[in-house]
Amino acid sequence: MDINVEYLAKLARVELSEEEKRRFSGELGKILDHFKELQELDTENVVPMAGGTELTNVFRKDEAKERFPELNNAATKAFPDTKDGLLKVPKVL
Amino acid sequence: MTIKGFHEGLVDKKFSAVEAIGGFYRTIHAKDKDIHAFLSLNKDSALQTAKVIDARIAKGEKLGILAGIPLAIKDNILISGEPATAASRILEKYSAAYDATVISKLREEGAIFLGKTNLDEFAMGSSTENSAYGPTKNPHDIIRVPGGSSGGSAAAVAADMALGALGSDTGGSIRQPAAFCGVVGLKPTYGAVSRYGLIAMASSLDQIGPFAKTVEDTEILFKAIVGKDELDATSHHTDYTNGRNKIKNLRVGIPKEYFAEGLDSEVGDEVQKVIAALKSAGIKFKSISLPHTRYALSVYYIIMPAEVSTNLARYDGIRYGERQSADNLFELYKKNKGVGFGAETKRRVILGTFVLSAGYYDAYYTKAQKVRTLISNDFDKVFGEVDMVIAPTTPTLPFKLGEKTKDPLQMYLSDIYTIPANLAGLPGVSIPVKGRDGKLPVGFQLIGKKWREADILSMGRFYESLD
Repeated sequence: MDINVEYLAKLARVELSEEEKRRFSGELGKILDHFKELQELDTENVVPMAGGTELTNVFRKDEAKERFPELNNAATKAFPDTKDGLLKVPKVL
Repeated sequence: MTIKGFHEGLVDKKFSAVEAIGGFYRTIHAKDKDIHAFLSLNKDSALQTAKVIDARIAKGEKLGILAGIPLAIKDNILISGEPATAASRILEKYSAAYDATVISKLREEGAIFLGKTNLDEFAMGSSTENSAYGPTKNPHDIIRVPGGSSGGSAAAVAADMALGALGSDTGGSIRQPAAFCGVVGLKPTYGAVSRYGLIAMASSLDQIGPFAKTVEDTEILFKAIVGKDELDATSHHTDYTNGRNKIKNLRVGIPKEYFAEGLDSEVGDEVQKVIAALKSAGIKFKSISLPHTRYALSVYYIIMPAEVSTNLARYDGIRYGERQSADNLFELYKKNKGVGFGAETKRRVILGTFVLSAGYYDAYYTKAQKVRTLISNDFDKVFGEVDMVIAPTTPTLPFKLGEKTKDPLQMYLSDIYTIPANLAGLPGVSIPVKGRDGKLPVGFQLIGKKWREADILSMGRFYESLD
């Protein structure tokens, strides 16, 4: 099966080199061929499994908690670019 | 040395924590040039903690079993203020902002973190060859891989550079390297251990678990990290020791699909020896079938990349990591990931984007989720008749570096026996087959019922106790 790696790379916001595009296109085609075996199975009435375990709802009071006073500092230290202590990003338009 | 032995030596004052930790760093400096299990070391804070432990001993305080125990931590688990690269270039300069819950829990016990260990980038791989910082080598034969993705953690324990370690297991990333390195590795039930502070790969499959030399030590570490955490909504309360079953009452299933074509004969023979030894010690076995096993690899390689492509969207260079220069935001996102991600990461992001894209979602992603249900149902059915399943951990012996890097599908097949437990959310432990001195290690796997780590660990301890 042929897949349009260039289009997928655009959707995923990943830059690929020409060599990577060629290589992935062949490899992913082979992997997708392997997946065809799933079509043998009749799954019409099977419920899809989304998670690993039985989950229960977690309720708590809607109260703000100051959980990590130290966290702000550590998080802002990781910013690649800042202005006046705020996160600086390139312009959108 | 074991965790238990170290603890006894410490409280009997045969050595001090500072001396012992210094000794571990000397071993690391001597051996790790060849093995490359560690990506970073935190000697200062480790020795600081060791001093505190020694002071507590001097005061006559009663120490918990993990106090002063040197551990190695996979570099996708956060330790506040320490690097957490996930073996990716994109996080090369990142410093963790907080402790993962497993780290806070071990810290409370007084455990010592020697350093962070190598892995396949973002835990994607079966050999640690996908690390941006170079591969780890198998301590039993350094021309061979240690397995992956938690290869650094497994190798650190195998080479006596730590007494225990933490890893993460999404499709076998604890059990497979444990088997290749000849140590014990446990993947707990999905939800048994908090994933808060674990760099996410595939969130419906990821689980943190311990490595150690013996099953007993593995259980000591597991006990310290298990439990519900309000910071991980998928974590679950479990009193896993509740109602410990009598070992002779536990029935073990032998699934024919795990001993079929594709299994290396040496590995198969060794696992049969384990079965024979347990049988003659009075354990009851039963032949069973898990008919959808052969589809597990396809299901996994649809669901996992789908989740990977979503989880890794966050590495856009906006809030952390190194930022490339670009004219606009779209170019910036593209460039950051293009430069920061390695080949396997890109491959999985592209594959995941494909299976989730319009027109293919139902045919691939929904279909895989449905077959995941069938695989899980297979286990539910057999767990009516048996308490656990025994299988090889890996289809082959540890392979050579470079042997499988050219063909992704061949590499993916190394996880064929470990993936089903992740898909079904079940606990699995890999235990070294005994009597392999001087030969490459072989691991066998016990897969248990949900929340029944106690059963598989008891059986593992029983096997270790046999002559």
